[in-house]
Amino acid sequence: MSSGSKQYKAIGDDVWKRTDKVNAELFTLTYGALVVQLIKDYEDYGEVNKQLEKMGYNMGTRLIEDFLARTGLQRCSSFAETAEVISKVAFKTFLNITPTLSFPPASAQPSNPSLPQPSEFILTLDDNPLAEFADLPRDAKEGGLWFSNVLCGVIRGALEMVS
Amino acid sequence: MTIFSLYIFDRHCDCIYYQDWNRTRPLRAPSTTNFKPGVHRLAPAQPSQTAGTRESIFSSGFSSGGIGTGITKAGNAMGSGAGASQRGLPFDEEAKLVYGVVLSLRNMVKKLSGRDEPLTSYSTPHYKLHLYETLTGYRFVLLSDPSSDSLRFVLRQLYTGAFLEYVVRNPLIDMDSRTEGIDNDQFRSAVDRHMKSLSVFS
Repeated sequence: MSSGSKQYKAIGDDVWKRTDKVNAELFTLTYGALVVQLIKDYEDYGEVNKQLEKMGYNMGTRLIEDFLARTGLQRCSSFAETAEVISKVAFKTFLNITPTLSFPPASAQPSNPSLPQPSEFILTLDDNPLAEFADLPRDAKEGGLWFSNVLCGVIRGALEMVS
Repeated sequence: MTIFSLYIFDRHCDCIYYQDWNRTRPLRAPSTTNFKPGVHRLAPAQPSQTAGTRESIFSSGFSSGGIGTGITKAGNAMGSGAGASQRGLPFDEEAKLVYGVVLSLRNMVKKLSGRDEPLTSYSTPHYKLHLYETLTGYRFVLLSDPSSDSLRFVLRQLYTGAFLEYVVRNPLIDMDSRTEGIDNDQFRSAVDRHMKSLSVFS
């Protein structure tokens, strides 16, 4: 596992070096403005979450082509490997971050106790480039706004294309 | 050495792009009921039209004797005196044959080796078929001269170059559309340039 994850880390670093970059502040502020506009348009946090996810999904379906073309990776053999690739290569390539990967304890998956591999994983963003300058007002927090929900959509869209 | 034609198929098994260079077998545009826009630039089928009046870039290298670049099994479709407009296969049928042969060979290869092994190419005395498959289900098929080396790298270059730049990053192209292909001027000219720059082309 450790040798595999080191290898993915190297791939991620390598691809990041060769990637065209955009200004991080411009990116963050644009995303913030987008979320604000969505909130104004829909006036409902649940609906905003849904729209962000949908936008992410549409991005993910195309981003996966870019990702595969750049990295040349082959199909993952296990779910744990998929998690490693998403964290160490994909997030590194596109956002230059490496989310911490953790697997929920096995007891938390009563549906599939016999499964040898984990069937879910958690990505924890230690620093989130989308939320760099974002300061959510209290009512947005309480209203249930998922500010970075676009990322969930991207992952869903990308994985669906290679499923 | 030469290159005959290129097909791109999507995850729904539909042909979404077609381009040819030095074809020696005539090809007809599909009938209007099976016409799918944005795939090829064959002149639309008209009852009185002869096959020779296709657009200029496709009409080169016509010979009635015809070394087959298509599927050999379909050879009886031509030359039976049915009139010039009836010569060659309609495009949609040829695309289906190409996809069918690729799919069944791929499945056989997998069953024989027992592993997830890709089919890369096969050749006959008259042509060689190269296949490049992406993980997202796109299949790039190239028909070339039988004496050429593996051209899989060319298909990969097309995927990472022109396809990514002018199709994936093109917001006007609906990538998961069942009703339309991915044809656009920039993509077509980029593919054309790339192919003509190859040493096997000529």
